[in-house]
Amino acid sequence: MQGSSRLVSRLVLTLFVLWTVATILFLIFRLMPGSPLAAFVSPTFTPEQQDSLRRQFGLDRTLFDQYLLFIGNLLQGNLGESFFYKRPVGEVVMTAFANTIALTLGSLIVAYTFGVLMGAMFAWKRGTRVEAVGIPIVLVTRAAPEFWLGMVLLAIFSFGLGWFPGGGANSAGQSFSSEWARIFSLDFLRHLILPATALALYLQGLPLLLMRTNMLEVMQEDFVTMARMKGLSNWAIVIRHAARNALLPVATAFALGIGQSVGGNVVVETVFSWPGLGRMLVDAVAASDYPLAQGAFLLITTVLVTMNFVADLLYSLLDPRIAHAGHR
Amino acid sequence: MPVTAEPSAVRGGGRGRFAAVGRAFALVRRDPFATAGVLIYTVFLTIAIFADQLATHDPNQILYRPNGRVASNLPPFAQHILGTTNLGRDIYSQLVYGARSALIVGITAAFAVVMIGTLVGLVAGFFRGFVDMVMMRIADVALGIPFLPFVIVLSSFLEPSMWNVVIGMALVVWPSTSRVIRSQVLSLRERTFVEAARVTGSSPFRILFVHIAPNVLPLSFVYGSIAVGWAILTEASVSFLGFGGGDTVSWGSMLQNAYASQALSRGWYHWFVPPGVCIILVVVAGFFVSRGFEEVLFPRLRD
Amino acid sequence: MSVLSVQDLEVYYKTDRGVAQAVRGASFEVPEGQVVGVVGESGCGKTTLARAIIGVMPKTARIAGGRLMFQGVDLLGLSPREMASRRWRDIAFIPQSAMNSLDPVYRVGTQMAEVLVERGGMDKRAARRRAAELFDMVGLDPGRLRDFPHQYSGGMRQRAAIALALALEPRLVIADEPVTALDVIIQRQVLDTFKELQGRLGLSVILITHDISVVAYASDRVVVMYAGEVIESGATAEVLGRPFHPYTMGLCKAFPELHGGGGTLVPIEGSPPDLIAPPEGCSFADRCPFVEPECRTARPPLVDVASGSLAACRRTSEAEELRVLAGEAGTWLRS
Ligand SMILES: Nc1ncnc2c1ncn2[C@@H]1O[C@H](COP(=O)(O)OP(=O)(O)O)[C@@H](O)[C@H]1O
Ligand SMILES: [Mg+2]
Repeated sequence: MQGSSRLVSRLVLTLFVLWTVATILFLIFRLMPGSPLAAFVSPTFTPEQQDSLRRQFGLDRTLFDQYLLFIGNLLQGNLGESFFYKRPVGEVVMTAFANTIALTLGSLIVAYTFGVLMGAMFAWKRGTRVEAVGIPIVLVTRAAPEFWLGMVLLAIFSFGLGWFPGGGANSAGQSFSSEWARIFSLDFLRHLILPATALALYLQGLPLLLMRTNMLEVMQEDFVTMARMKGLSNWAIVIRHAARNALLPVATAFALGIGQSVGGNVVVETVFSWPGLGRMLVDAVAASDYPLAQGAFLLITTVLVTMNFVADLLYSLLDPRIAHAGHR
Repeated sequence: MPVTAEPSAVRGGGRGRFAAVGRAFALVRRDPFATAGVLIYTVFLTIAIFADQLATHDPNQILYRPNGRVASNLPPFAQHILGTTNLGRDIYSQLVYGARSALIVGITAAFAVVMIGTLVGLVAGFFRGFVDMVMMRIADVALGIPFLPFVIVLSSFLEPSMWNVVIGMALVVWPSTSRVIRSQVLSLRERTFVEAARVTGSSPFRILFVHIAPNVLPLSFVYGSIAVGWAILTEASVSFLGFGGGDTVSWGSMLQNAYASQALSRGWYHWFVPPGVCIILVVVAGFFVSRGFEEVLFPRLRD
Repeated sequence: MSVLSVQDLEVYYKTDRGVAQAVRGASFEVPEGQVVGVVGESGCGKTTLARAIIGVMPKTARIAGGRLMFQGVDLLGLSPREMASRRWRDIAFIPQSAMNSLDPVYRVGTQMAEVLVERGGMDKRAARRRAAELFDMVGLDPGRLRDFPHQYSGGMRQRAAIALALALEPRLVIADEPVTALDVIIQRQVLDTFKELQGRLGLSVILITHDISVVAYASDRVVVMYAGEVIESGATAEVLGRPFHPYTMGLCKAFPELHGGGGTLVPIEGSPPDLIAPPEGCSFADRCPFVEPECRTARPPLVDVASGSLAACRRTSEAEELRVLAGEAGTWLRS
């Protein structure tokens, strides 16, 4: 079938992109000013540790050998040792990843639910005053830097009114039986609300405008006219036919949004001291913790590229014209 | 990035070489949003150019009171229009100089992105085949690079400087422009006026740059006007994270200073609200201008 | 007995340039169990007329006058709710392009079931059985109900559209260019199926087309439209055999299958008038080879010309001679 061969070629492309980005990253970190060894071996390590790392990453060999080793290690999930945490990068990065995913999904779900409903409403109210006032407001929220929105929210709701904590993901001194218990605790939720709101405010504009444009376009389609001729209820016309078609690209945007937010959250995570992947990258770069920086960057990239692929997959699943090609 | 509906076609053929550009400019005036956008740009451009005259103080200078103590944390609307920072610097003057760095970064980055994006799009769409394939695969890779993290890593590799944002954008952001330009070129190259040029023996490069390029310029302009805001936002983020240029005053670095100096918990809104509002205004101006152009260029969006 | 009687219908569109008078005082009858062909050049108001009857029009359209008597009730006097409840149960529609008229994201069977359940009050099981039965009727394999619209060929889609229109056993079916998008051989096959079903079920049909050969082939009566007006109507054989309006004479001449080999084919020169500022007199005057100065002063009314035929022309009494002249190619060539 035509559909599956297209997906295979997209998958190959995805792997190609991942490999290329990893290679670029390898080069950037090896060409880093100073000794190439400095990039992976911290002088604070014990001599035995330094030796073992040198061997592991082939730091005393040619650049090409190092590259082969790097790729080999990467495939085994071995990203080296964090200078700062003195633990394997993979481990360190995974805790942060959970926090980032919680923040990303939380804000995206709120933003897309709100955006889709409002977008459909704006399409319905086309040419009215609601639209004339609403669209500029939406454009303004899209133009506001999300970290600045976060700062304003913090100043008002945390420091001003004292309703929410001023940063972090959990209150100090709390302990949980498991990572899941931590993420689904009330304490975590209280910490999550402000950063997620700041992000959601920034993110809702895209689904809103997308939904509005799509709805306007779909409402012009012949099949919507036909649905009216069939005497179907307004509900059936708007929801079952118009919205279902208009949602196709929005669903794709959602998947793409996950990929982009994981890296794009960097600033919001910093403002709210949210212990996520982005803030970890910033701290690692600032502290010259190169293995950790590289690991965090690679994970962010992997999520981005994977979600680009998922978006493609999702589109072909949701659109029967692609999913059920052939049979003509 | 803002929503730009996939453009269907640029109207008209290639009669005058710059007819398309001229038409776009003429029609901007009919759109109030676009006009507002252009107006905002003009105001900030004026501020950026005349920053030396408009600023009341040196933005980096630490000011003192007559009694010799640092003039820190002065409230707004007294001797200082927007008050002073906790280190005794004049906030209003920082804001004015911030406009300069914002626009410099914004315009150069937008120019770089659109130049690269348009060139790649033109060449890929016109020559197709192998060239197209290679360029589009490079575009795929660029789209797989997380932008902000990339700029952060880049600035640890290079010297911290506001130009990192420009370099980062030039390297990563061009594909969206080039994809649109490419599909435009693919359709333009089949049009009769291009066919006519081919028949009369014009060289491929002449056809590309004399007959096709002027027709995609308005589209590049749309992407440029969005990219300016995009770059300013990014510059602010990068400066806020502390990877901006050392002592260049920018809106992002102002926000970082305010944040680091506990301006939030102390409720010094006059310090961190104005830079945010300025960023919003410039970015929104970009949206308005591009929205105006879109409606002018792709009338099917109107109804 | 007529199922539908269209009386002096006026439909206007609001446009950037002004009000376009798309249908201007159209009148005709649809007798029970017959096929009425509505024919005219593209842009003469056929689709506008059809959509006015079923009551689904663009926001810019307005019915400015007239009556639509359906089984003794004026459809224009019904509330939107009452009208919605009559759609598809009483009046169904077959669109020109079934491709765009079927929702691309649902299986064809689902879309059949939607109408049967939501409008026909059937349960899911019964709906599925009925859908298969309908597919059988229009010559489609019921197994294809599970396919999506894009998996069908053009002819199959039109058949599916016919099945959909017949789902609730409507009294009147409006078919707007139902075979125009198909190639000639498929056109014939689909028309044959449609015609056979119409006869068997005793359907009343308005068959809209710009192709006079389709009218000749499939309709009992014909209504000729020009610039939003009905300019001639009557039994098909009568109107096409002995046209009284010069436009009908021209139309018959412009179509190959009716023409029967002799003489040359000559299209009518010129284009219809601007509907935003239609002419005072006969709207065909500018293109009519037999025009006289008086034609431009007042609109000629539809008058009885022969057994049950009506025509709107000042010179119907000279029709015999005009038909002879119209048969010569030179008549239609401008000097
Ligand atoms: N939505 C509309 N808005 C304005 N004018 C329209 C619209 N639809 C059709 N018209 C105009 O009304 C006239 C009749 O159109 P239509 O009913 O589609 O003709 P036909 O079906 O015979 O080709 C044409 O002149 C057309 O330009
Ligand atoms: Mg039509």
